[in-house]
Amino acid sequence: MMSRLVILSANSLKGSGPFGAGLVHASRSLHTSSQSRAPVPPLPETGGKVRHGIFPEEIFQLLYPKTGVTGPYMLGTGLITYLLSKELYVINNETLSAICIFSVIIYGVKKFGPSVAAFADKLNEEKLAKAQEVKDLAMSGLTQAIENEKKEQWRVEGRAMLFDAKRNNVAMLLETNYRERLHMVTNEIKRRLDYQIALQHLNRRLEQEHMINWVEKSVIGSITPQQEKESIAKCIADLKMLAKNTQAKATV
Amino acid sequence: MTMNLFNQFLSPTFLGLPLIAIALMAPCLLYPSPAPWWQSNRWMTLQNWFIGSFIKQILSPINTKGHSWALLLATLMVFLITLNTLGLLPYTFTPTTQLSLNMAFAVPLWLATVIMGFRNSPTHALGHLLPEGTPTPLVPILIIIESISLLIRPLALGVRLTANLTAGHLLIQLVSSAAFSLLLSQTTAASLAVGLLLLLTILEIAVAMIQAYVFVLLLSLYLQENV
Repeated sequence: MMSRLVILSANSLKGSGPFGAGLVHASRSLHTSSQSRAPVPPLPETGGKVRHGIFPEEIFQLLYPKTGVTGPYMLGTGLITYLLSKELYVINNETLSAICIFSVIIYGVKKFGPSVAAFADKLNEEKLAKAQEVKDLAMSGLTQAIENEKKEQWRVEGRAMLFDAKRNNVAMLLETNYRERLHMVTNEIKRRLDYQIALQHLNRRLEQEHMINWVEKSVIGSITPQQEKESIAKCIADLKMLAKNTQAKATV
Repeated sequence: MTMNLFNQFLSPTFLGLPLIAIALMAPCLLYPSPAPWWQSNRWMTLQNWFIGSFIKQILSPINTKGHSWALLLATLMVFLITLNTLGLLPYTFTPTTQLSLNMAFAVPLWLATVIMGFRNSPTHALGHLLPEGTPTPLVPILIIIESISLLIRPLALGVRLTANLTAGHLLIQLVSSAAFSLLLSQTTAASLAVGLLLLLTILEIAVAMIQAYVFVLLLSLYLQENV
């Protein structure tokens, strides 16, 4: 990590590591442009690439043009040989303990590295999922609110139909009421007129009866006693004849 | 050769300048500070998770008043565990093998708990000196014994850490020097010694972490008694 910093900061100031976040200020040390932290440059997704766990890939890229693929390895081997042969590094008991501890560390990293990384990723995912859940809930709540609002608007449209129906109802009631009153009025008038007609009939009948009585009275008054005697005698003669006829019919 | 064994515990100096300060400050560089963005990388997540779960476990038996010690205990734990595990690397100096450092941690913190206990509730703190249900004739002797055990606590704390780590490092040195000297002449014995060394290394890693944890755990227990 430190070697990377040294190498990268030698090339450009906009390196990674702990200097990265503070370099916005470095770019305007003369205050020539306005300070702005946005747009923030995107962060790298993964860490720096390393080979064999500790050697940054940049060293290999650095040495590739001059020495090819095996360059850094030759450099490493030469360095170790130099240190050992000149006894700058003495092999003693600590070397053995170094071999032991490093083998334990490498074994541990190789065996438990992926699972620990997965665990850390899981923690991060859970954190992200919680925030995402909040966001999703808010979004679903808002879409639900939009749907409810649309439904309310549809309901409001239907209100006009409701008012129409009510208006029709009221109109029908009024119409019915009007017709009833009309009917009643008609009946009343008919009754009055019937009364007048009955009165007229009565009058006519009275006049008729009166006239008949008068005619009868004048006829009966005009009958003379002579005429009366003659008619009675004729009636008796008729009756005798009838009696004779009936007696004759009975014996036959 | 016997002199060399203890050279590893000498406080490192370079041209007369003590390097112990660098040895104590350097482990902090391994732990990145929290980034200003919301979701951090794996190392930060693991660090946060570790400190969070450790503090949750350590502070659960302590009442709310003692929770102000959370930062101190967490820092102490991370510091001790880093120093201990880094000391297992070759050619490194472990500051926690120095009795002065461990006593400098143990005595003030223990004394702080005791003074807090005697200030807040002196009767309760004094009551710790007598366990419940002791028969009456034993009471005076038991009080003396309990006070001695109370006073020996910082010594025990410091010496425990020092002794464990020093012994471990010494053993590693011994076994590795035995293996090294036997390597050319009696290779089988040397290979046995190397096997022993491997097991010892694994043990030392475990001891390094456990001793740091025990130190902090005991401090939290003393805190629990007195808060």
